[in-house]
Amino acid sequence: MPGSHRRVSMSTGKLGASEAESGHSSSKLSASKDLSRVRRRPSSSTPGVRKKLELSSPVKKLNRQEVLGELLDDVFEAEKELASKLPSSPPRILTLNVSLTPLRPSTESHNGIRIAPLKTCRISPSRTAPPLQDHDSTRDGLGVSPLVEEEEEEAEAETGVKRRSLRTPVRKQPTPKKSSVLVRKARTPSSRKDSSSTTREPALVILPEEHAEQTAMTPRSKRKSAQLVAGRIRKQLKMLSTSQYLVSDSDDGDDGFVPSKKDKESSSEDDDEVEDLDGESDDEIIVVKRSRRTAGSRTPRSTQKARAPARTPSKTPSKTPSKKAAPGTPRTPRHATPSIPSRSLPARNPGNVLEEARARLHVSAVPESLPCREQEFQDIYSFVESKVMDGTGGCMYISGVPGTGKTATVHEVIRCLQHASDQDEIPAFRFIEINGMKMTDPHQAYVQILQKLTDQKATAEHAAALLDKRFGNPAPKKETTVLLVDELDLLWTRKQNVMYNLFDWPTRRHARLVVLAIANTMDLPERIMINRVASRLGLTRMSFQPYSFKQLQQIITSRLNRVKAFEEDALQLVSRKVAALSGDARRCLDICRRATEICEQSSSQPSAPGLVGMSHVMEALEEMFSSSYIAAIRCASLQEQLFLRSVIAEFRRLGLEEATFQQASYQGLTFPPVFVQHQALCRVEGLQPISVSEGLAVCQRLGACRLLLLEPSRLDLLLRVRLNVSQDDVLYALKED
Amino acid sequence: MRHSLEPGARRTRGVPGCTAIIIRKRSQNLNCLHVFPLQEWKSLEILAHIKTRKQAAVTMSKRKAKDSHLTVGDCVSQAQRLLRDRFCRQQLPAGPAGVEPQHKHLLELLRRTAVHGESNSVLIVGPRGAGKTMLLNCVLKELLEDSEVKKNVLLVQLNGLLQTDDRVALKEITRQLQLENVVGDKVFGSFAENLAFLLEALKKGDRSSSRPVLFILDEFDLFAHHKNQTLLYNLFDISQSAQTPVAVVGLTCRLDVLELLEKRVKSRFSHRQIHLLSPLGFERYLHCVRQQLSLPPDVPERRFSQEWNASVEALCEDKMAEAALKKHFNSSKDFRSLHMLLMLALSRVTVSNPTIRPADLLEASRLCTADAKANIVHGLSILELCLIIAMKHLNDIYDGEPFNFQMVHNEFKKFIQRKSHSVHNFEKPVVIKAFEHLQQLELIRSVDGSSATKTQKEYQLMKLLLGHGQIMEALQKYPQCPTDVKQWAVSSFG
Repeated sequence: MPGSHRRVSMSTGKLGASEAESGHSSSKLSASKDLSRVRRRPSSSTPGVRKKLELSSPVKKLNRQEVLGELLDDVFEAEKELASKLPSSPPRILTLNVSLTPLRPSTESHNGIRIAPLKTCRISPSRTAPPLQDHDSTRDGLGVSPLVEEEEEEAEAETGVKRRSLRTPVRKQPTPKKSSVLVRKARTPSSRKDSSSTTREPALVILPEEHAEQTAMTPRSKRKSAQLVAGRIRKQLKMLSTSQYLVSDSDDGDDGFVPSKKDKESSSEDDDEVEDLDGESDDEIIVVKRSRRTAGSRTPRSTQKARAPARTPSKTPSKTPSKKAAPGTPRTPRHATPSIPSRSLPARNPGNVLEEARARLHVSAVPESLPCREQEFQDIYSFVESKVMDGTGGCMYISGVPGTGKTATVHEVIRCLQHASDQDEIPAFRFIEINGMKMTDPHQAYVQILQKLTDQKATAEHAAALLDKRFGNPAPKKETTVLLVDELDLLWTRKQNVMYNLFDWPTRRHARLVVLAIANTMDLPERIMINRVASRLGLTRMSFQPYSFKQLQQIITSRLNRVKAFEEDALQLVSRKVAALSGDARRCLDICRRATEICEQSSSQPSAPGLVGMSHVMEALEEMFSSSYIAAIRCASLQEQLFLRSVIAEFRRLGLEEATFQQASYQGLTFPPVFVQHQALCRVEGLQPISVSEGLAVCQRLGACRLLLLEPSRLDLLLRVRLNVSQDDVLYALKED
Repeated sequence: MRHSLEPGARRTRGVPGCTAIIIRKRSQNLNCLHVFPLQEWKSLEILAHIKTRKQAAVTMSKRKAKDSHLTVGDCVSQAQRLLRDRFCRQQLPAGPAGVEPQHKHLLELLRRTAVHGESNSVLIVGPRGAGKTMLLNCVLKELLEDSEVKKNVLLVQLNGLLQTDDRVALKEITRQLQLENVVGDKVFGSFAENLAFLLEALKKGDRSSSRPVLFILDEFDLFAHHKNQTLLYNLFDISQSAQTPVAVVGLTCRLDVLELLEKRVKSRFSHRQIHLLSPLGFERYLHCVRQQLSLPPDVPERRFSQEWNASVEALCEDKMAEAALKKHFNSSKDFRSLHMLLMLALSRVTVSNPTIRPADLLEASRLCTADAKANIVHGLSILELCLIIAMKHLNDIYDGEPFNFQMVHNEFKKFIQRKSHSVHNFEKPVVIKAFEHLQQLELIRSVDGSSATKTQKEYQLMKLLLGHGQIMEALQKYPQCPTDVKQWAVSSFG
């Protein structure tokens, strides 16, 4: 086996002897780059990645596999060469083609195995893309890769000199330390480079340990040096990151792909040398880790700093959808991510002032800032920030009636914190959001959390067990997780184990979980939670008061942001009215939007409508808040009106006082006496009496509108009737005409 | 060979551009069905071809019978077909009559969603038969005439009576959005996955790029009874956040529909309500009747339609007919019940009687307003009638308290012993049978439905579901009712 393989590598090596050197070095470079990238990505290596690595690691411990991997690296190097020769074609695809062809038919059966380790090695840093789809990702990655390249170069330029000086002396250490005899035995004499590729597999196994070390030694002050670079990189990345997919794909793509591109550029021997050294040094770092070298002297840290911000766009909350999408349909290809087809014609933008105002007033429009919630914002911010900084966990319960900005405030807090962590002011953290209303069963909460956390899919019980393990056990490298639980009351179960777990995890020592629970009622913990749950929730509570009219006014004004569409009085009227009723900001915005519509319709020239005035607002308010019962009674047919009257007449006949009337009206009247009254009224009005069937039909029609409350119609004559409107309303409505 | 085309060579939803024509060959003895999946245009072509051939054949035969003139029978049947189509609301009216402001409001709203990508939610509230669906369909028709809109909008129609829970509703939404083929059968693994999938799909869109989705929820109030109102919450939440633009249109007849919504769901609803409560006067009602009955000038034949329209005019002028219509109007302003009335009148039109006369309308009105239970009583046997009278007496004696079979039987036996000469003395099993028949007809009803099995049949407590007046009226009209039975009924004590 090794012989045949060497022959392959030799034959490919013959293709260009002059380029062989650069090819080798570059492949090593790529390998080392992979490595260093993996290592430099402490926070971005999501649990998913770790899982993948763990999955692949046992394979690598097998000696045979190691040998295979090594041999494959040979092939891989050869391909690198070819790739560098064909600069225009995407190298990854080429890689596969070439690697398969030189093999003899007898070894072809092993192809799958052979390629597999190679792939897992190279793809492992990628998070979402399953191995087979890497062609896509490389393609996507093309656009962004130069940037990453540049960033690397910058980082290297900064540290290159230092690194060389530091690394070279230590260089000799690894080889004696390496204990895997088999690896060395299998190593072909020609390739010193191979050592890099073989060692990188063990390196992956070490990874978690290393992460822990890195986070442990990242005080804020040490990062300042890298911030300038980081800022520049971020700026560029933001320019490029039009879609999160592109960015995340580029993450996937550049790992395997960039080095070959680098090949083309690195023409000078000097460069090669530096990179060679670089590769070697990476090689050593792994071992250095083993030899418990202090992290402070490690030079690549600056590179890590430089990279850290570059990763961030993929870490912002906008990332979550893409994360969620992929696991939603794990077995299907990536194209299966659900989406609404895009429109063929672009959406029209607002034309005039009123349309502009309407767009701004839509609840979905994200405001520049959240006015009137500064105090709450500050409280939540400092709570979460302190937990993230300390690496501890905690719960916070946030209550308030609907439309008081609870969820919006939390989102704003997270946005700011994420910004802060981008700036390296606080450690990185993960944000996960679940909503009790957006799941079919309380136990689905586990599934959703696990899915968002690790991309895994599991049943509710299994997910609960996994999460329990995750939050219960100490993990060397763990970032704080901030979990927003919206509509908490819907997670109630008889045993309350979902709530119990949610509030129990943060109290565990190693959990590093911050739970922000949102619900509507202030006394929810006392009302529905059993003691052990309520006790774990703790006393960190916050209640969002309904907006006062001044606040509502401020909200509208800030949303409108100098778009002059409303009269001042009109705004005041809306906000006072809403504040008096509910203090729901959504309602307020909806009324304003409706008022703009009314204004638009009533204005004489549609191109230049006037301001929204009091009359328009009044009309909108009238539409939304007026009860339609009276109008409905007035529009009812004559027999229906008579029937309502006969219900009242029957109550009167029974001689019920107002006090007992309530009770009697609650119990209702049986149909026949009411119908007798109806017949009598018909005669008084000079109408032909109607039949019982018709009378029942009339009664049912009133019941369908809920002017009357009825028992189910199968009771026929025995059904009970009661009014759903007050007696006075009926009389008032019928008196008018 | 005669091909009869099923009316719906109908487009199957979800498989666009593919239809099936069902041609039944009746001339052959085997009544086989041939189903050809075809491209739509092709099927339409075939349809048109077959139709023209058929029409040609019909006109050929007509020409033989009477040159170039349709017989009165043909005219009548064509007019009837046209009007029936109208009454069964297979046709939309040309424009919204009497609800123009609501129409404009809704149209503007949906257009903004379609064109500007603005999310909205609205409820159309009105009593049954007020024209809610008609209004919405008019608006949709007008909206989709705009090619810019038509290409952009996705339509999802749900009905609370069909989608009885959120699981079914979600499946239906996925199907109508044609997302199901994206993932094969994977999505439908579980309810939870389905919900996550759909929310994911809708979340990924944004205002400017994805196609707006119009959700139409018929019988909206029934959706509010789904568990946790998950579907409504999510639909309204999407409509209030920067996701795929949606317009949620709910149709309901309940005035208190907002009280059904949970507070969070309610807060997310935009509180736009379009009420269809037009104070319709009798003048307008008459006008509508005239409009609904009149034929277009050239269908089926000029002279016939002129005559027909003149007769309709005369009908509306007629005092008796007007009284009948007035009675109907007083009872309900619902257009469906009007259509029912007119349909009954229309079906009395024959060759010998080619126009609607006032008498037809009166007869139809009588049929419409007849008491259903009195009709049932007319069909009862004398024995059953006697039992009902016995029950009536028991009701009088015990003031409406429930009775059992044994009591009724005693009462009946007393009557037989005292004065009956015409009524045969039936055996007890026969009487029980008659009693059970009455129960099946739901003229009597056991007081406690569930525990009926526990007690013996004879001692189950029952209540009579007929009023005093109904019994007496039915007795008056009962054919050849024995006089002693009648006397027994009117006598004040058993």
